[in-house]
Amino acid sequence: MILTGVLLLLLVLLGAPLFSVIAASAMLGFYRSEIDLSIMAIEFFGLSEMPILVAIPLFTFAGFILSESNSPQRLVRLSNALLGWLPGGLAIISLASCALFTAFTGASGVTIIALGALLYPALGEAGYDERFNLGLITTSGSLGLLFAPSLPLILYGIVAAVSIDDLFLAGILPGLLMLVLLSVYSFWKNRHVRQSLTKASGREVLSALRESIWELPLPVVVLGGIYSGYFAVSEAAAVTALYVIFVEIIILREIPWRELPRIMRESMVLVGAILMILGVSLASTNYMIDSGVPERLFAIVDNYVGGQASFLFALLIFLLILGAILDIFSAIILVVPLILPVAAQYEVHPIHLGIVFLAAMELGYLTPPVGLNLFISSFRFERSIAEVFRATFPFFLLLVVSVVIIAYWPALSLVLLN
Amino acid sequence: MNAPQARWLQTAERWGRWVENALLFFLLSGLILLASTQILLRNVFSMGLPWSDGAVRLMVLWLALAGGIAASRDRKQIAIDVVTRLLPGRIKRVTAVIAHLFTATVTGLLAWHSVRFVYDSYSFGDTLLGDWTAWILQVILPIGFAAISYRYLLQALQELVGSEP
Repeated sequence: MILTGVLLLLLVLLGAPLFSVIAASAMLGFYRSEIDLSIMAIEFFGLSEMPILVAIPLFTFAGFILSESNSPQRLVRLSNALLGWLPGGLAIISLASCALFTAFTGASGVTIIALGALLYPALGEAGYDERFNLGLITTSGSLGLLFAPSLPLILYGIVAAVSIDDLFLAGILPGLLMLVLLSVYSFWKNRHVRQSLTKASGREVLSALRESIWELPLPVVVLGGIYSGYFAVSEAAAVTALYVIFVEIIILREIPWRELPRIMRESMVLVGAILMILGVSLASTNYMIDSGVPERLFAIVDNYVGGQASFLFALLIFLLILGAILDIFSAIILVVPLILPVAAQYEVHPIHLGIVFLAAMELGYLTPPVGLNLFISSFRFERSIAEVFRATFPFFLLLVVSVVIIAYWPALSLVLLN
Repeated sequence: MNAPQARWLQTAERWGRWVENALLFFLLSGLILLASTQILLRNVFSMGLPWSDGAVRLMVLWLALAGGIAASRDRKQIAIDVVTRLLPGRIKRVTAVIAHLFTATVTGLLAWHSVRFVYDSYSFGDTLLGDWTAWILQVILPIGFAAISYRYLLQALQELVGSEP
């Protein structure tokens, strides 16, 4: 038993895809319990019994289309027109526009490439410190994770079987907390950058608004539709996908039709990779729950942990380590089913747990060795990983502070639910 | 590998990629259209297609496997590559061969057990979405896993021979 565990772990480290290792462990478990292995196919087929799952391919595809179009440029121009007059405004613009963009593109690192490439040189020209800019852009790449309709939020809702509408509401204040903390720091750090980038100009605001006229309804329709209860999440995803095709391909013609199959393939490669893990995990999770893994986990945790406060502390440490070695999607699929029952024993609300989980995993984007944002920034801006990590460190510490606040102040996540 | 074999393989690869792209294109376009039509019918005409919810969910399953096949070809399956990235060239190749062969075996087993699942469904005459024959809708499981298994076998061979795909 332990030997096979070690062997499977070794295979993970040798670079075997996670889904195959999970499938292997589930098959071994079922084989030992003398359960017919066609259960693997039956469980995987369970993917077709999850109504909300359709939101994942649709939102992912819409995000890929948006990042291939010129909407990042328009978003930057509009935020600049609205906030550029504020001293230190550009840093805040970067944070806010990256957060919005990430919420729609699902924190796959595309924000750094699509928006960071525009904002990084602009920040330099405006007289901001080079190292600050690198840290800011790298951090912003995953900042919108807690805002609807981000992919990790939806995936958590599916895996934990909690209301995604509630999760979308719960993410708002914690997400804003991160945004405000980082903005205040940026403002304070650059208090010497007194000259404002642009003068406040009604004309520029109008012209930027006119340019973005097609994209502006998108957040309003999607978020308004979901929060008002008019659309279900999966319907909002379908509307978004159709609308984005309509605007970027038919009206603005920024993406030619012949590019569509390529973008579809690229986005579905990501979706396929995530859903393969989800599919085989349906089997392995069922096996683990049937054989009482959560109970045993709770018994172990209970030896060291006295109450909710110390459980949350242990959880944060665990998630910090988890985020440093595993990507957010696999982490949600693999770990949430196991810690959900344990957290319930300590009376942690499943929605609150979700926000804490995602906020803590957001830190994982910034920690070596597998922090995705570090790699993308290092690659995109031609800096060493160590250099990017050093530049990101003050922002990382601020995010740690906000994660601690989010964990120990459940009302921040739950107050909007009622 | 000698020249004619390589050419045969290249043709197969080209066709394979074309089929993947076509499958992804039709599934995703169909999904977007069907899901949007559903909303339109419900909100504007207050009616619905009884089979469409089930069809949408099945299309997501098909997309998952078609995307999984494409991800295997593009070497974009989610894996932890911290350790392998640091290994020297020769050892890296050995570990890659081991990992690929392992994945090919696991997905091969998944394909075999999916065949049994689909065969059972065929012999019992199961139906889905009303009166659709279930096995036709489930057949993507064995096909998908077999295609992924083939892909990793090929990648293991390429790693052994030392040629790039």
